[in-house]
Amino acid sequence: MSLFDNFMLGLAVVSNLEAIMALIIGVAVGVVAGAIPGMSATMAVALALPFTFSMQPITGILMLLGVYKGGIFGGSIPAILIKTPGTPASSATVLDGHPMAERGEAGRALTMALYASCTADLISNLALILFAGWLASFALSFGPPEFFTLILFSLTIIAGVSGESLLKGIVSASLGLLLATVGLDLVYGTARFNFGDPNLMGGLNFIAVLIGLFAIPEILSMVWNPHGHEGKVRTLGRKGASFADYKRCFKSIIRGSFIGVILGSIPGIGAAPSAFLSYSEARRKSPNRENFGKGEIEGVAAAEAGNNGVAGATLIPLLALGIPGDVITAIIIGAFMIHGLQPGPLMFVMNADIVYGLFMGLIVSSIALFFIGGAAIRVFKYVADIPRGILFPLVLVLCVYGCFAVNNSMFDVGVMFAMGWVGFLMLQYGVPAAPFLIAFILGPLLEDNFRQAMLMSGSSPAILFRSWITWFFWGLSALTVIAVIRGGMKARADQKLGSSGGM
Amino acid sequence: MSRTSHFHVGIAALVFAGFLAVFGIRYGVSSPSNVSNIVLSPTFWPYVVAGLIGLSGLGLVLSARGAAAGEAEEPRPEGGWMRLMIMAALMVGYVLLTPVLGLVWTSMLAFIGLAFLIRTDHPKSAFLAAILVPLALYLFFAHVAGMAVPQGAFVRLP
Repeated sequence: MSLFDNFMLGLAVVSNLEAIMALIIGVAVGVVAGAIPGMSATMAVALALPFTFSMQPITGILMLLGVYKGGIFGGSIPAILIKTPGTPASSATVLDGHPMAERGEAGRALTMALYASCTADLISNLALILFAGWLASFALSFGPPEFFTLILFSLTIIAGVSGESLLKGIVSASLGLLLATVGLDLVYGTARFNFGDPNLMGGLNFIAVLIGLFAIPEILSMVWNPHGHEGKVRTLGRKGASFADYKRCFKSIIRGSFIGVILGSIPGIGAAPSAFLSYSEARRKSPNRENFGKGEIEGVAAAEAGNNGVAGATLIPLLALGIPGDVITAIIIGAFMIHGLQPGPLMFVMNADIVYGLFMGLIVSSIALFFIGGAAIRVFKYVADIPRGILFPLVLVLCVYGCFAVNNSMFDVGVMFAMGWVGFLMLQYGVPAAPFLIAFILGPLLEDNFRQAMLMSGSSPAILFRSWITWFFWGLSALTVIAVIRGGMKARADQKLGSSGGM
Repeated sequence: MSRTSHFHVGIAALVFAGFLAVFGIRYGVSSPSNVSNIVLSPTFWPYVVAGLIGLSGLGLVLSARGAAAGEAEEPRPEGGWMRLMIMAALMVGYVLLTPVLGLVWTSMLAFIGLAFLIRTDHPKSAFLAAILVPLALYLFFAHVAGMAVPQGAFVRLP
């Protein structure tokens, strides 16, 4: 089938009220969730996931993608108004957005954030449409050794989601890998870490682990310190961003969008580094660079373009290779699996209608984001005013219903609570949860492809170097490790210099 | 994060890796006796992961020596531990009471319990939400998604 035929097929799948409504509701839920400090786009996608079980696959996945995109933009609203980024990706938006709000220009900052977000989102979606199919057709030639090296490379980029300590990130990822081994061994069919419990034969439920790691620790943090999420809301001001503002920031928006696309298509990097890189590039190139950090609208545009440019691009490795680009796409991969779909190169052959339907839906999501985001800016105060004493019990009940709905099992709810305490402890000790989840998802793929490769070669490790593709990924992994070690050494040297200078 | 947290996490990782290597994998993973090669054994991967945990734990302990003291730890909120213990009891109760009372009624109790635990300033709204939210979720999951929501032994919903 030609590309045109595929798009027509996709259009037919997505051209129904149910799919469009699901997408619009998803964007609205995402914007609201992203706008509430204490919630996050990740938590919103995790909580929305169980509601999609009864939907058609395309409808459910579009809804989750809507929540994702809405959530990334929604995070900029509290970042600008109360200096509390709704998502880590919005941290760069605080730098200029909040000073603008303090000057009474919150409305101008928010509308520019919206324009930049929608432009970057559209560019990112177009990049996905152009490159995912090409990458998938290339990946069809992958065998177990190639996949093993690809997944190993994806795991090395866990460094990007490890936060301030790479070693803690590795501990977290190792725990994820260990938890992924629970269940039956795929080669010999023997039990691993199930201690005779039939509930653990199939391994730990992904949704239970996911919700437990990302939503329950927030509730426990609230219980630990009920006054930890308070902030002061600013007024919006009368003026929005003008076309002249948009035109002045256009270069930075386009640059930020492409930075987002490039960084987003590499698994594991995510939106926050992209937002900061886009921001620093805009500051370097801007004639108003001395105003950055003091309330420069171009800074808001660049940061938002950087973080939204990632949104479509993270789906490139997800759809083409079956590798999640960040934590949220790791959750979305779970949605594919629950609906009986396996993202990866074969999906472009077996489920082309769904893939191209998603592409069409994503274009619609950029338009939906423009209108819903605009409305959200005006009604934000009412959204952000949901009392914490109601919001967190609501989240708890949603978590329990959502987790129970997967297998009709209270055992899964127990697993979710247990993982919640693990996540809370990790939060308290600064151990990042994202590497845990990514390793939990990639762990079985890594092990299965490794063992399949070993079975193919009669246990000879030479098979892991059999083609230029494996060498390519070994090379990338080595480069990443070297870059991480160099970065760590530089940071340590800077820290020493800073402490000796401070004396 | 302070070097204390590096040290604590490092020690915990080392102890856990040691436990896995000595007891956990031996008693937790069954391996057939006819495995032709160690890399194909069901125990191979867990041992690799245990090694990784141990090495990163060691790295954390060593890095804690050279790390800066970091920021002073935040003061512990008053009554935090007590609230966490009550929350743990609430979670256990949620799991154990659901088969008896049903998911909807247990959720209402848990909602109210948590709302008061985090000292809600809006007790009336919380009470109303505690009734409406589980009922709305029941309607969605039972009647739209077709899920068998546990009804319990006392009051059954249509």
